[in-house]
Amino acid sequence: MSVIDSAIRPPLVTGDKSYSDVTADICRPLENKPSRLWWIGFIISFSCLMILFATLFWTTWTGIGVWNINKSVMWGWDITNFVFWIGIGHAGTLISAILLLFRQKWRMSINRSAEAMTIFAVLCAAVFPFFHMGRIWVGIYWVFPIPNAFGSLWVNFNSPLLWDVFAISTYFSVSLLFWYLGLIPDIATVRDRATTKVRKFIYNFFSMGWTGSVRTWARYEVVSLILAGISTPLVLSVHTIVSMDFATSVIPGWHTTIFPPYFVAGAIFSGFGMVLTLLLVARKVLNYENYITIGHIEAMAKVVMLTGTMVGLAYITEFFIAWYSGYEYEQAAFLNRMFGPYWWAYWTMMSCNLIAPQVFWFKWARTTPWFVFMLSIVVNVGMWFERFVIIVTSLHRDYLTSSWVMYSASWVEIGIFIGTFGLFFTCFFLFCRFLPIINMAEVKGILKNKE
Amino acid sequence: MDLNNKYWKGIEEAEKHPEFVSSKKNEFAEALPLEEVLNATDLDLSSNRRDFLKYFGFSVSAVALAACQKTQVKYAIPYVVNPENVTPGNANYYASTCGGCNTGCGILVKTREGRPIKLDGNELSPISKGALCATGQASILSLYDINRLANPVKNGNENENWGELDKEIIAKLEGIVASGGKITIVTGSSKSPSLAKALEVFKAKYAGTEVVAYDPISYSGILLANEKSFGKRALPSYNFDKADVIVSFGADFLGTWISPVEYTKQWVTKRNPKDGKLSKHYQFESILSLTGSNADVRVPMKESKEGIYLISLYNEIARQMNGSQIPVAQKAELAGNSIEKAAKDLVAASGRSLVVSKSNVTEHQILVNAINLMLGNYGAVIDMNNHSNQSNFIESDFEQFVSNLSSGSVKGVIFMGTNPVYSYHNSSKLVEGLKKASLVVTTSEQKDETSEVAGYICPDSHFLESWGDSEPKKGLISFTQPTISKVFNTRQAIESILIWAGLSAAEADAYTFIKSSYEDIDVWNKSVHDGVIVSATEESATPSFSANVNEAAEKIVSGSSKSDSSELIVYQKVGVKDGNLANNPWLHETPDPISKVCYDNYLSVSKSEAEKNDLKQNDVVNISLGNKKIENIPVLIQPGQATGTYAIALGYGRTQSGKVGKNLGKNAYPLLMVKDGNTLYNYQGSITVEKTGEKYVLAQTQTHHTIEGRDYIREATLEEFKKNPYVRNDHKIDLVTLWQEYDYTTGHKWGMAIDLNACTGCGACIVSCHIENNVPVVGRDEIRLRREMHWMRIDRYYSFYTPEQYLTKEKEIESSESTVYDNIRVVHAPMMCQHCEHAPCETVCPVLATTHSTEGLNQMTYNRCIGTKYCGNNCPYKVRRFNWFRYNDNDNFDNHFNNDLGKMVINPDVTVRTRGVMEKCSFCVQRIQAGKLSAKREGRKVKDGDIKTACATACPSNAIVFGDMNDPESEISKLYKNERSYHMLEEVGIKPSVSYLTKIRNV
Repeated sequence: MSVIDSAIRPPLVTGDKSYSDVTADICRPLENKPSRLWWIGFIISFSCLMILFATLFWTTWTGIGVWNINKSVMWGWDITNFVFWIGIGHAGTLISAILLLFRQKWRMSINRSAEAMTIFAVLCAAVFPFFHMGRIWVGIYWVFPIPNAFGSLWVNFNSPLLWDVFAISTYFSVSLLFWYLGLIPDIATVRDRATTKVRKFIYNFFSMGWTGSVRTWARYEVVSLILAGISTPLVLSVHTIVSMDFATSVIPGWHTTIFPPYFVAGAIFSGFGMVLTLLLVARKVLNYENYITIGHIEAMAKVVMLTGTMVGLAYITEFFIAWYSGYEYEQAAFLNRMFGPYWWAYWTMMSCNLIAPQVFWFKWARTTPWFVFMLSIVVNVGMWFERFVIIVTSLHRDYLTSSWVMYSASWVEIGIFIGTFGLFFTCFFLFCRFLPIINMAEVKGILKNKE
Repeated sequence: MDLNNKYWKGIEEAEKHPEFVSSKKNEFAEALPLEEVLNATDLDLSSNRRDFLKYFGFSVSAVALAACQKTQVKYAIPYVVNPENVTPGNANYYASTCGGCNTGCGILVKTREGRPIKLDGNELSPISKGALCATGQASILSLYDINRLANPVKNGNENENWGELDKEIIAKLEGIVASGGKITIVTGSSKSPSLAKALEVFKAKYAGTEVVAYDPISYSGILLANEKSFGKRALPSYNFDKADVIVSFGADFLGTWISPVEYTKQWVTKRNPKDGKLSKHYQFESILSLTGSNADVRVPMKESKEGIYLISLYNEIARQMNGSQIPVAQKAELAGNSIEKAAKDLVAASGRSLVVSKSNVTEHQILVNAINLMLGNYGAVIDMNNHSNQSNFIESDFEQFVSNLSSGSVKGVIFMGTNPVYSYHNSSKLVEGLKKASLVVTTSEQKDETSEVAGYICPDSHFLESWGDSEPKKGLISFTQPTISKVFNTRQAIESILIWAGLSAAEADAYTFIKSSYEDIDVWNKSVHDGVIVSATEESATPSFSANVNEAAEKIVSGSSKSDSSELIVYQKVGVKDGNLANNPWLHETPDPISKVCYDNYLSVSKSEAEKNDLKQNDVVNISLGNKKIENIPVLIQPGQATGTYAIALGYGRTQSGKVGKNLGKNAYPLLMVKDGNTLYNYQGSITVEKTGEKYVLAQTQTHHTIEGRDYIREATLEEFKKNPYVRNDHKIDLVTLWQEYDYTTGHKWGMAIDLNACTGCGACIVSCHIENNVPVVGRDEIRLRREMHWMRIDRYYSFYTPEQYLTKEKEIESSESTVYDNIRVVHAPMMCQHCEHAPCETVCPVLATTHSTEGLNQMTYNRCIGTKYCGNNCPYKVRRFNWFRYNDNDNFDNHFNNDLGKMVINPDVTVRTRGVMEKCSFCVQRIQAGKLSAKREGRKVKDGDIKTACATACPSNAIVFGDMNDPESEISKLYKNERSYHMLEEVGIKPSVSYLTKIRNV
């Protein structure tokens, strides 16, 4: 890869870094003792993870009844959180796969962490479909088409939930492979720099004998491209299929053909929101301002603005179609979202997802890290509410008014949600500590160093 | 470049030594010293393969045995000697009489392997005619109540020995008679020929013994009025099926008044608009009763003014019939000139009309009698000759008894199946009096308020363990026979009485004693088999009237208060009724048909009163009425309740009951008072309501009360229907479907039709389904979380209609004038799984736990369910129920599923669901299978009517019809072709198998 000096494009990595600078900078958090900040963050996250274990244990031990879902709203925070986390995962795949195919080199300093985020987010998401099952102990394998001794029992290929099983497991395995493959050269670097035997042994094991020969590099590039190719449709398919959980149903507010593109846009939107949240902190704490530059932030802010507007357009389209369909139940469902008892959730969603990202039309807003950070939080909140609005407000008042109910989460449901943040950040903190969060090998390729 | 390198391990290989080449063939290059090892004597390896297997076997079994824990041994013992007529797996049915209340409905008891598991109405009984109400259905659970007394009790200590107790009681009774004291036996008021005979035997031994009838609910107003009018102290037999116009003043004859199942059966015969004819039903009432909710014209009225309105009605009818009017100053009229209209309709249908009143004031009932007489309704519609014995309670007798107790003249009291310490309005006086008696005996089945003050509790057997007879109506004897041997060491009260009267145990045996009254063994056998004997009935005739109407009217006018102050109505709730079955979780779990509240009673408040006192739903208030007070009662704002009224239900606030009923709600009996010999069920006077500032969330199964203008409930007026039978129902929706149709060319295709016009909302079907399908009881807190498990529910919708206005939106109604709120209309819509052809639940289940059967059923495979709840979400009717917890063997749900005795009521044909699975109405698939099997055994096809779901069986108004739609002659096929037939939510394209018939009102 030759370095092309462009007169108009600013460098992707600033600070005039040399190859050894890159290695030293990126390996530093792995080789130094963890900072106080890391410990604080890790302990908080780990405590939250313990909350997850406790609440999941309580749910499984006692019954799903410890949640507050009821005869009409049978999915509440559980599936809201599931879709929320699955959505967050999308940025990683988008950055690493689609941007790779589009040769967007700015992705190189953020794709590693975005992919890690994907994997951790899918892990968090997976908690919900498993634990929302009444009988997890059988459900955990009955949803797979495994030949069995139960006679002719087989799975139902008509069920969008089954499609979910395939979509998510594929997504998770491909993402994991892709991430791990990208890590191999960097793990080898860490191995080479290791000073203790244990460290050397472990990193050696995971580097899978990487030698850095031209041959391995060539194969590495090819496999990366293939995996990127496989991942690309996944960016679209996973959330499309998740959206079909709702779109193929008969419930007004769910039964909407616009859902697949709308969900994908929303997923990318929320994913970028989360990437921004994480990286803005990481670049500050780990002093990676030269790798994750204002340019990166600005690019991601633009994506957020674009996808936010797409999502907003979908909201408005949905509403228009409800009116245009002339179908009273559909109309009632959407009016209920706006002005019913959950109006606050709807308007939170609208203002966070459609209105707030419009500030990114201003360059100042896109290039001011603290402001972007605030906005990224707003986006995360908004997208959680979007799922809440779709799931809960559609169910709580559907066809027969006699079954109209209200729903609010119990402490167990809240605990599980907090717990998944614990899981996510515990993984992320361990990731920062033990693996290079920026792809050294690739970043070295885009250095404009004259060495 | 080719690789020609050759590698070798040793020089022998490179040179291909012959020794090496030959040894290479062996697995091991060098010979192994096997022989040496095996023959080594110093190791003493004497064990061979067989020994090894022995040791191995021993170790495995030793480990296995050591790992065994002592598990609970559950005995399931097969019959060693099979009882006659019992085939394990087949149900036996016995005719008997329901003991749930005084009405005396004939029942069929379904028993499996010797235990009763379900009660249904006996078609031969002229009272129940095959149906049974919610209370009756639920009463079976009291048999398996662990709170029943297992042994007789003396001074609070259980004593297994009946003989010892009998000796002491007899000695005391004899002592009382010897010392000149009086003995009083307090029984329920329903008439039993054998009990009457037994009491005579008792009286013969203990001279001066008095028998006093006591019921918690009094109909003495009617009894005394009939005595004054016709010289006969009895309740008449009403024939609602002969009445084209019915005017009811507060009488909840479809829900709680005298004999609701009988009346519902009668009433519904005139509620089919097929020929453009429909009875016209006016209801003037204060609370929104079940009957009022089904009336064509319902007019809110203050009960305290009822007398005035009765005079008005009398005068109006007299005017129209050119009779003499009662001279009164003012003419009272209700909203919309409804009295005048009612009078007009009554006169037009004279001889075919009926006026009834709930009022317990003798004068009111005299007027009602006079009106009916004037209309010529006696004879045809009202039968005084074949009178009813369903209540004979006269307050004055009991009041006399209480004062005798206080004065100390009554020394011995035996309470037979009555609990007046709970339900008597002046219970403290009674308790004080009882302290003066030297012997107080009660035959309570469970510890109750009366047994608390009794020295001896001699527990009666449950009616399903007993022999008995009763005479609910003249000329009708209804038999009770045991369907299980006694569960506990109890004894029938009639046996106790006979033994205390000095009979030997053999003579006192209930079977022997009762049978002795029926000399002809064939008659006896037939009677026990049929459950009833109907002897020749007398010709009904118009009795001669001897009461003074003007005098009664004068008394009403002088007694009525001119002030327009608030009043409080005390009423019975459908299901819980008088509170006798307070410890029955099925009744509490069944929502009130109108308010949809489970478990508690509450202060039902009209909207005007709520606004006046700034009351909101669920506010906790203290209400004081003069010197009486009820504290901490939650408020429910009841649409349809008359302006200026409050209401509280009886039957709650039991202080002594089992776990379920104890301290549930508030006791309203102390609010009653006796005036002129009649108990008054409305309280006028100063009523103050003060808010405590607390909130108590009532457990309601429905919190949204209108259809919001949606099309799934269809109703029309009779006029509209006559013009166009397809009114509101002519927009058939024909949707294109992407799904393949199922093939039903052979076999059955099950379907159901529900007539919204017939359904009264009484809830009998809910309880029947609850029992039949082993639906768990979940308790108040779970219902608050909206997790009731009922497989079927009855949706109740309010609307408001005038020719100018038709309001079905909650917001519109709430923001309207209060008259709108008072004049609410009601529709009851039973709702259960609709067994859709293109069921949305079936497609979404990832594991195929819910599938379509070849007979059109949407079936649940519990064992396959993993509980994703997706099906429940995707159900447009929201009829799927999820097992949020394990509801059996769980101390958090300490009902009958949590103890071995209670579990005896479980229907063995239906699985008890485990935690985490979805369940729903199965169209009683077990009954379908049973019906098909018996048809097969008899070598015939399934006939229409062979198979009935539990809800259809219970329904007193025949609103639910189940059958095979593949049979063109079946009732269901015909109903599907009815002009009024429609499917709810047809436009969703799911093709439900339940059809609803438009409600037609005769307004």
